[in-house]
Amino acid sequence: MPEHDGLMRVFWPADLPRSDLRGVVVGWRNSALDVFVLAILEEVEPRNVESALKLGTLTRNAPHPVNRIYELCGQSALHVLGLSNTPESVEIDPSWIRVATGSGRRVPAVTCARASSIQIILFERPLPGRMQYISLNPIALALGDKHGNTRIHSADGLEEIDEKQEHLRKEKKKQLVEKLKQHSIFKRVPSSKERALAKIVNQINWAWELEKLMQKNVSRIGTRPKRSLSVSERVVESATTMRDTAIVWIWNLFVAYVLPVIKKLFVLGLMAHRVAAEVLLTVLEWRARPRYAALKDISATAQQVEIRLQQFCYWPMQYVTLRLRKNDWESVTTSHPDYIRFYNSLWLVANDVIIGIALGSYIIDNSAWVGEQISQLLTRYTVDALQSSISWLMGWPAGLKLNSELALFLGDLFLWVIEYWSSCLDTLRPVLPHIVWFIGFSSFAGASMPIAMLSDLLSILTIHIYSFYLASARIYHWQLNILISLFHLFRGKKHNVLRNRIDSCDYDLDQLLVGTILFTLLFFLLPTVVVFYLNFAIARMAIISLKAVFDTMLSFLNHFPLFALMLRIKDPGRLPGGIRFELRDTQDFRHAVNDTSSKPLPSTSIIHLKSIPLNFKAMFYQYFQMGHRIRKHYLSPRVVLCLLTGKFVPPLNRKNLYSLQYSMLPAQRAGIMEMWDAVNSLPAPKKRTMPVSIPALSNGRRYPSNYGGGRTRSYG
Amino acid sequence: MLKTTTPHLYIRRPSPTTAEFTVTTLPPLTIPLRLLLLTITLLRLSTVLAATVTIYSRFSLLLPPSTSSSSQPSATTLLLQGDIPTLLTHLLTLAHFSAPGLFLSNITAPIPDKILLPFSSLAIYLALFLQLHTTESLLVLRGLGIQTSSGWSPPFGTSGSGETNTRTNWWKWVGRGGALWGWAPKTRFIPTEKIRDVLINEAFRGFEVRYYLIVVVEGEEDVVVVFPKLLPRKKIVEAVWRGVRGCLYEGDRDSVNTMGAGGGNGHQHAGHGHNSHQGQGNGGQQHQSDGKWDS
Repeated sequence: MPEHDGLMRVFWPADLPRSDLRGVVVGWRNSALDVFVLAILEEVEPRNVESALKLGTLTRNAPHPVNRIYELCGQSALHVLGLSNTPESVEIDPSWIRVATGSGRRVPAVTCARASSIQIILFERPLPGRMQYISLNPIALALGDKHGNTRIHSADGLEEIDEKQEHLRKEKKKQLVEKLKQHSIFKRVPSSKERALAKIVNQINWAWELEKLMQKNVSRIGTRPKRSLSVSERVVESATTMRDTAIVWIWNLFVAYVLPVIKKLFVLGLMAHRVAAEVLLTVLEWRARPRYAALKDISATAQQVEIRLQQFCYWPMQYVTLRLRKNDWESVTTSHPDYIRFYNSLWLVANDVIIGIALGSYIIDNSAWVGEQISQLLTRYTVDALQSSISWLMGWPAGLKLNSELALFLGDLFLWVIEYWSSCLDTLRPVLPHIVWFIGFSSFAGASMPIAMLSDLLSILTIHIYSFYLASARIYHWQLNILISLFHLFRGKKHNVLRNRIDSCDYDLDQLLVGTILFTLLFFLLPTVVVFYLNFAIARMAIISLKAVFDTMLSFLNHFPLFALMLRIKDPGRLPGGIRFELRDTQDFRHAVNDTSSKPLPSTSIIHLKSIPLNFKAMFYQYFQMGHRIRKHYLSPRVVLCLLTGKFVPPLNRKNLYSLQYSMLPAQRAGIMEMWDAVNSLPAPKKRTMPVSIPALSNGRRYPSNYGGGRTRSYG
Repeated sequence: MLKTTTPHLYIRRPSPTTAEFTVTTLPPLTIPLRLLLLTITLLRLSTVLAATVTIYSRFSLLLPPSTSSSSQPSATTLLLQGDIPTLLTHLLTLAHFSAPGLFLSNITAPIPDKILLPFSSLAIYLALFLQLHTTESLLVLRGLGIQTSSGWSPPFGTSGSGETNTRTNWWKWVGRGGALWGWAPKTRFIPTEKIRDVLINEAFRGFEVRYYLIVVVEGEEDVVVVFPKLLPRKKIVEAVWRGVRGCLYEGDRDSVNTMGAGGGNGHQHAGHGHNSHQGQGNGGQQHQSDGKWDS
């Protein structure tokens, strides 16, 4: 009695060698009609194969524990699934499949007594040696999303409003999803076939390594004789063995006496650096109060140093994880994203240093000229241009008749401060080449350092513009507020603070009179203030955008998915982005079948399973997210409103901006002791054993192993 | 010139448990249409070539071939050496100094650089990525799941006719070239385990009512719209919906039978509530039909 609908599902490796010989099909049986083919063992008896599978002969000499295979593939044992290229006359178990393959046939013809229809799913086996694998979900290049829950709520209100809105939107969506759930009348219980998909993905990843292992061991059950070595071959072998023995002896000496010392010294040096890094990090992260900004939140340089230190703290841990990978089967895919992350960050740092050396040597050689240029640019744009624009504003700009007295007062005020600042710059000028030299020198630690320092230098050297902006914004904001309340008075209304609404109010005549006069006065003075405010606001925006350019350069230097991009071009199989099925035409398949057998095949569909390489959008997902965040922060209507009413526009929190760069690092760095343990837990390098060879046995069979035990005797 | 028809449906169903529903605007491939498509492909190629040569001849310093050809090895030797950049430069230089190339540079000479560069880049982009026909498909595999795909995929004909073969091969070739250029269809596979429901939804779009097929995915906020670009007519959507229900679930044999017998009056409307579909951006009143068969 066929189960349910008699649909049989056969997973078949498309790159399995095709031969016309008789063979036994071995693989996993996920459920009665759901089989996964691993290998075809040729010229062996099915009975022998079955007993060999029970005894574990086929998985003998495995380099790593065999239980791991069963654990990850979700099955307790391998099974004989059927026979290939056997004549119809041979009686077989009804649950077995009968396969016809051959060199002339692209797709095997599968029949099974129990199945009424068959799905053959062909897949290309990913090569575990090249770290290819498939997965249902796209590979995660960034570490898991930990910023969602550990985000410290920033002090400024703007961010909180943003967050609240986001939260509300999520709540609403969740409700809608709940409502949608109510529409489905009944919940189907997934069948065993449907639940097997995750296991099958693992089985596909294991297929290559397991097939190789079984083919290596097939000689143990087969009848194929192995010829013994000829005399000349033996002479060659013993000679090479002699040479190998000498090399191994020297190597073992080295491993035993020199290597541990070097290793110990290296680990000690590493730990010393780690302690120093810990001290520096504590300084950088120190906050006077929990809500105050730490040094790394203010300065780009501090942030850059912090990122490098964090990476330095994380690398040994990553390296240890990757080393442990060597002690496991190659088909275990859990650490592949770690591998990509580790080498990506190493490569980026190396790149950074290379660019930095080029940049640094240039800057050091031309420090005087660069310093001169910087001071010229500074005087031209932050002093002269500002002065001339203020003077322009003081003398009725563009035909606008401003209030000359107020303009004169404001202009004189700002001009005086600028003059003071330019005298400060003049005293700074002789020191500037030295600062530039220092910046150039720092760039040997990577090109990102001078960029971060330049960004900091920019904010220090334009501090006067920032203060002008603050002052003029404050004046403008006050005046606007007073005007609004006086306008209410003018209309006989007032703002009720308690209820946050506009109430009517009976003013006295003198109140009204004075209010109206003040209103007129302030209203006529407003344009003058607006002009000054706009001037400084534009200057401030220019500086912010310049700093944004620096920040973008930094984020590219620190986070560009260079390694992933290279992998994507070189070998897309290493960056799986999901799977995809393709329905193939069954036309040629049927024709080929009809040639050989007269028996009609069950209705068969041929499906190709392919891995989708990760798309570029997913690779740059973090960048898109950052861009979205910046756009939302600076181009929102609220910010424009702030700008128009002279309220202070808070800069984007550095933590938000740099969540991108931290996505490569764990939220909590590993402690010193943890690292010590991890570094010491590394397995000792495998002692290279003497090349043991077993003399060829008299019956001519030669076991290809070192594990054979017994007598160890070497030639020579 | 761009011969498109209203979206129509092809079904491929090699076994009752596997089906592919393809909705395409490409009319059946007759000989004139094939010729037209071939011409368009050639036109695309020549556009790309012409634009590339124009940009190259404008923005690089060229030596006349008399001096360069004597010193430079021929194209075949370069190809054998594997020196691709030099080969490309060589070929482009040759193309520039050929008769059509010179003619082209003569024509484009009065156009200033600022206009020429964006226009030729745009021409290259359009020639490579402009699609004449839209094809979207839905693949249903019992025991595995549903796969939606949209974009440039080879539209296969109706199942079983003899001429499918040639058509298929031709399109396979085009499709393979397309995968190279990033025309490969965007696919999304949803395992059966994660499918909560497959429904027909109804929404206002502008001044019309559209019926569309959606897949509700477990644990996801947005529903997946099948055939999102074409949004075919109700008749097609209903046919696909029935096919999916018949094909997807194991043990729903009676529904398969019903599908064959009583096709006409389909489903009852359980019309209430606002549906939570955000993808379309039309907040109208929607109601949906679910899989209750009135037998």
